[in-house]
Amino acid sequence: MVARTEIRNLEGRKMVSSIGMIVLLVSFSMLFATLLLGYAIYRLTSDVWPPMGMQRVPLFLPTVSTFIIAVSSLSLWKFEKEFELKKEQILLPLYLVTLTLGAAFMGVQFKLWASMKAMGLYVEAGIFPSLFYTLTWIHAAHIVAGLLGLLLMIPAIIKQDFDEKATLVANVSKFWHFLGIVWFLMYVVMFVL
Amino acid sequence: MAFFEQHMHAKPTTFLSKYIFSYDHKVIGKQFLWYGIFFLGVGGIMALMIRWTLAFPGVPFPMIGQFLFPETGGVVPPDTYAMLFTMHGTIMIFYAITPILIGAFGNFLIPLMIGARDMVFPLLNMLSFWIAFISGLLLLAGLFTPLGAAAGGWTSYPTLSTLIGSPGVGQTLWALAIFVLGVSSTMGAVNYITTIIVLRAPGMGYFDMPLSVWGLGLTAILNAIFIPVLGAGVLLLIFDRVFGTTFFLAGAAATSGTGDPILFQHVFWIFGHPEVYILILPAWGIVSDLLSFFARKPAFGAKATALSMTSITILSTIVYGHHMFTTQMSPLLTQSFMTLTMTISIPSAIFFANWLGTIWKGSIRFHSPMLFSLGVVFVFGLGGLTGLYLGTVTTDLYLHDTYFVVGHFHYTMAASVLLGGFAACYFWMPKMFGTMMNEFWAKVHFWITMLGLNGIFMGMMVVGYAGMHRRLYNPFVYDFMANLVPINTFITWSAIVMGLAQIIFVVNFVHAVFFKKEKSSDNPWEVGTLEWTIPSPAPHYNFKDLPVVKCGPHEYGNPNLTGDRDFQYQTEELA
Ligand code: HEM
Ligand SMILES: [Cu+2]
Repeated sequence: MVARTEIRNLEGRKMVSSIGMIVLLVSFSMLFATLLLGYAIYRLTSDVWPPMGMQRVPLFLPTVSTFIIAVSSLSLWKFEKEFELKKEQILLPLYLVTLTLGAAFMGVQFKLWASMKAMGLYVEAGIFPSLFYTLTWIHAAHIVAGLLGLLLMIPAIIKQDFDEKATLVANVSKFWHFLGIVWFLMYVVMFVL
Repeated sequence: MAFFEQHMHAKPTTFLSKYIFSYDHKVIGKQFLWYGIFFLGVGGIMALMIRWTLAFPGVPFPMIGQFLFPETGGVVPPDTYAMLFTMHGTIMIFYAITPILIGAFGNFLIPLMIGARDMVFPLLNMLSFWIAFISGLLLLAGLFTPLGAAAGGWTSYPTLSTLIGSPGVGQTLWALAIFVLGVSSTMGAVNYITTIIVLRAPGMGYFDMPLSVWGLGLTAILNAIFIPVLGAGVLLLIFDRVFGTTFFLAGAAATSGTGDPILFQHVFWIFGHPEVYILILPAWGIVSDLLSFFARKPAFGAKATALSMTSITILSTIVYGHHMFTTQMSPLLTQSFMTLTMTISIPSAIFFANWLGTIWKGSIRFHSPMLFSLGVVFVFGLGGLTGLYLGTVTTDLYLHDTYFVVGHFHYTMAASVLLGGFAACYFWMPKMFGTMMNEFWAKVHFWITMLGLNGIFMGMMVVGYAGMHRRLYNPFVYDFMANLVPINTFITWSAIVMGLAQIIFVVNFVHAVFFKKEKSSDNPWEVGTLEWTIPSPAPHYNFKDLPVVKCGPHEYGNPNLTGDRDFQYQTEELA
């Protein structure tokens, strides 16, 4: 009987935190939706894009980022599945892949910002660079939070706390996939179109 | 339906864990209450300074004027005047009314009314208070910076709020404070929504929840969705000021590649219109419950009231353009926004009629919470009706940015929400602190407040209709406005009277909390919702055994009731 309530409580806690996480992600989506809306308005009200004779940001680095974050999402997704199935051996490699890719994403972002500076696109040079820096900065700040979340999972992997930490893993993954989706939208709206 | 039962945590023993870093939703609610009352005082004094300047231009502000503005001999200087109305608006909306209705009563009531032991995320709850606290410090810090606090109005429109319009640190701190507060509100909202979804006592369907919980829940939904929109707006403003981005600098994006100040207005009001409902919905919910409780009748059309509140919540997301009729938008847009705005009258009329239906032929008990609730019905009626004039493009072109707007929103937000907050304070006092406030002084407080309120805000509508512009330091330098000085003096005297009346409340409140010996009974108002089934003040864990809900919150006059009770508890089932 006790065990049964225990399980029920665990299930309940997982349910609760995933509802909470979903509400939180709705909030975050509104933040990014507003930023993208702003982007769209500036772009649509401008006769030429980019304005002021500026150059577009080359697609190469953003494409690399997109690829990296997509793969990291996949590996984290796989990790979550295996975590649920309590497959101890494969967890660490999957985790390390995700973490490395996450860090690599940040690395490419820094490279992107440096390359923009090299093109003469400084933050204060006008609305075009303002938008690019601001949106990528805000996204990157969330990536940093996501990476911290990933680090929080280390004890769970070492101690193999499959039941206790299931909610943590589920939530960090949701957040990470969310950031991937946001990046993909940014990639399409800002860099490709 | 409860997915799981929360533990009954041991009672905290140290001072810190009990009163400062408490995880208990009731304590956090009280923290928000004190926080809100403090800011109500600060914002109130600022209001009096604004009013003083308008009624007696060039006359030193009494008592503290000499101390605050020595360089002008106690007269409020023009730049300070701009800071005053900015900070007054910001403080009242974000730091007084929001924490009292949403922070204090949201936290306090939701778990108690749905039969839960606490919020689902107590730690998050505690953090949300302390983050709000930090935000308050950031905002107040602006007052002590060399160029003074923010002065761009509570809406902080660029270019007033860009570095060009206000170079001081105060405006940056303002934006930062709002952002931080947004983080806190979002945390609160996540907590409220999740708690309402998963922790309702067994047997409690959504329509068995008291309407207060409905109001608070809908508010939380709006919060979760729209606070981040404001967050994005002020973040861009901060970036403009700190990192030199050019989002809101004047100049068409197309030609000069710089920003667009109007975009801020869009972002602000996409958030701002829902925000006014964020503030009013809890008050509506509370009033809907209290009217039924004190009329000793089932709430008339309770389901319809809940559904109209829901439709208003949904509609409120698509009418924001009525704040921007004068920004040269295309007539196609102004007309559409006007039509959408008018649509809100339909659900509003439904629940307003339900309020009247609830008190119709009730055996009304005119206790102080009831008086305040009836006050809300009255002032919100006036506020809502004046909204129609502003929602109509043709009349708004004339009325925009006059005191008519100020009168309108003070009736809807200041008056209604404040009275709703007072009703809640008087009503839940026994459950929060275990004592009752003095009824006689509560009634005195009500009547003076009511007279003062109407003197002030009716007066504002009159001078606004006569053409008095808002935000001017001394409008009377214009000849046609010079005639309005006497009405302004009247408004100011009403404000002073109303301000003084609040001392009655504070004394009554502090006395009841700290000095009153006589404890209240568990259910002094004879009401059947879940929080009245437990002792007063509510014990640490709320419910020893989780209640099982058998009926709705407003069950009065069931013929099968025994004894001389006319109400039944939500845990009772009577044929
Ligand atoms: C009954 C339906 C309502 C309608 C049709 C309505 C309409 C309007 C309109 C058109 C304006 C803009 C006026 C202008 O700037 O020229 C306005 C301003 C305002 N309304 Fe309402 N309103 C309604 C209800 C409310 C409620 C319930 C609240 C708050 C609880 C509220 C709070 C405000 C505030 C704060 C402003 C002024 C904002 C500012 O410019 O600083 N209104 N209203
Ligand atoms: Cu509005």
